[in-house]
Amino acid sequence: MMVSASRGAIISRILAAIFGCYAFVWGVVALGVAALHGAGLEYHAAEQAMMMLAFLLYLGLFLWTFAAASVRRVWLVLAGGSAVMLAAAWQLQRMIIG
Amino acid sequence: MLNSFRQSMAWVHTWFGLVLGFVLMVAFFFGALSVFDREIDRWAIPETRFEPQPMPSYDNLLKQVFADLKPHPLDMAATAERVIGDLPAPETMPMVGLFAYTTHRDPVLRIGAEFAIPNKPIDSKDDHLHVHGWATIDPRTGAALPDDQLKIGSNWFYPMHYSLQVHWKNIGVFVVGLAALVMLVALVTGVIMHRKLFKEFFTFRPKKRTQRSTLDLHNMTGVVALPFHFFFAFTGLVIFASFYYFPVSGTLLKPLHDRHEVIEAEHTGLPHDEAGVPAELASVDAMVAEAKRIWAERDMAGEVGLLMIEHLGDANGYVSIYRAGSDRVALVGEGIHFKASTGEVLREEPPSDPVGAVNEFLTGLHLQHFEHWTLRWLYVAGGLLGCICIATGFVFFVEKRKQEHAKRGLQGCRLVDAMAVTTVTGMVLAAVAMLVANRLLPDAMPGRGDWEKWTFWAVWLLSLLHALWRSAPVAQARSNPAWREQCWALALACVAAVLLNWLTTGDHLLKTMLLEPYWAVAGVDLSLLACALVSVFTARRLARTVEVKQASRIDGVAYE
Repeated sequence: MMVSASRGAIISRILAAIFGCYAFVWGVVALGVAALHGAGLEYHAAEQAMMMLAFLLYLGLFLWTFAAASVRRVWLVLAGGSAVMLAAAWQLQRMIIG
Repeated sequence: MLNSFRQSMAWVHTWFGLVLGFVLMVAFFFGALSVFDREIDRWAIPETRFEPQPMPSYDNLLKQVFADLKPHPLDMAATAERVIGDLPAPETMPMVGLFAYTTHRDPVLRIGAEFAIPNKPIDSKDDHLHVHGWATIDPRTGAALPDDQLKIGSNWFYPMHYSLQVHWKNIGVFVVGLAALVMLVALVTGVIMHRKLFKEFFTFRPKKRTQRSTLDLHNMTGVVALPFHFFFAFTGLVIFASFYYFPVSGTLLKPLHDRHEVIEAEHTGLPHDEAGVPAELASVDAMVAEAKRIWAERDMAGEVGLLMIEHLGDANGYVSIYRAGSDRVALVGEGIHFKASTGEVLREEPPSDPVGAVNEFLTGLHLQHFEHWTLRWLYVAGGLLGCICIATGFVFFVEKRKQEHAKRGLQGCRLVDAMAVTTVTGMVLAAVAMLVANRLLPDAMPGRGDWEKWTFWAVWLLSLLHALWRSAPVAQARSNPAWREQCWALALACVAAVLLNWLTTGDHLLKTMLLEPYWAVAGVDLSLLACALVSVFTARRLARTVEVKQASRIDGVAYE
């Protein structure tokens, strides 16, 4: 198979698929658990629901990383999204605990 | 990334499938063996070849067994590194919690306990400071099994399935997790690549050339068991998610989680902390009888699977009794908690919420505590189909490229093929060699279990060296004779294991199947013989291909 992408770009996508998506899903899980629990769902139910969602999301993001046209945008979405959601989860937790 | 979406997906399928495929092979194969881990334990520890037992009486038997249980030297050493100052003598540590666990397939009983220590932790966040003790006992007498006897099924093959036995920083668990994710990715990309999903159910052309028939088999096994593969990779990830992969509750959301735990403890009435006042333990047998009565009232009469005591010896102590999950897929405990000092019911766990119910179903589906032997064998079949799917993926990768690699003088195929030999025949050989070692090593040998483990690793390493040593023909677009040779070695090892079992224990198949049926051991023996047959068949079939190929070689290049 002929690869029409540079070696660096491929390595960048592989790293994004494994670690970038992982960080993003981490953010979704943390924010999701805090939000669902904040909305009144029992803590462990919120946790379990997010764990089940996590891997379907990871799967989708993983494929998107390789399907997307721009690897820079992939990184931007994954890293930016992760940072924002982790911060939001932390803030939400502080508001819930009060 | 590439010219088209489908090309990109094919790239992901090929390369992630190849690299993580070696890990997936281990996860699928040892997963299939883990379905019968307890039965393999019986084969490997002949003293435990008796019928499964219910949870024994606490008052008459377990009480004394726990009184004799001491902190384990291994955990003493591990804990000593986490705390400030020296640990007190193990005999003086008070036991503050305990458990006993069994299933409908266990003749032996696993027990464990926590011992309190006065030391402060080195890391102030380390909030679970206990020393643990554990043992496996004969529930009929209370006698402990020697610590040296490795439970090859449940303590070696089963952890291999999810951790590769690489425990440093839990690297193994994470690598297997990545492999499971890649399994999901490979299934989706595989479907995207092919589209002709329905047709592939029925397409297998074994008489075509290797590359074609391998791809047929790869597609067929992938598609036929697609839901199985997807579910197992997915549920496996979910089972470990909250502890290993996304431990939000122990890190980022720890304050929220801990607050919930305290509120829950108030809500459930189960004391979160000790009272600091000593108290006697009422009759646990009476609590067990009451728990069984409550289950029967709910129309789900059952046996005790797990018995736990928290804050043992304290006025806040409570006894938790969970049902064995033999009769349903969902892993539900129907836990009932009793006040340890009086035996009054503190709490009956309510039916789970919908999320919990889904989770219990998924977990139960993967961990299969239920009693259903046909379904159990179907699990094995599903696991082995997964192995075939992955192995044919390797073979197809090599077959597709080896002509071109031979022309251009590349060694890539040669290496991939050698790795494939190691993870297909080599892995099975290592597992069977371990069983052979188990029957050959003297009973009283110190560190016997460790020798079994070393045998496993040594044979696996040898199979890699052998595959590499014999791999030169692959670089000339021919096949590696190591496939065939390891098949023969495997057939011999399987037969040897069955014969050794007979010689060392007297349990031959005639006895375990007919005279005094004991299907745990008979099943392992029969599986070994089946493996031997498949190996011989494969070895002979591979030899035939080589002859054909050699006959059709013109000017040093093979034409198929």
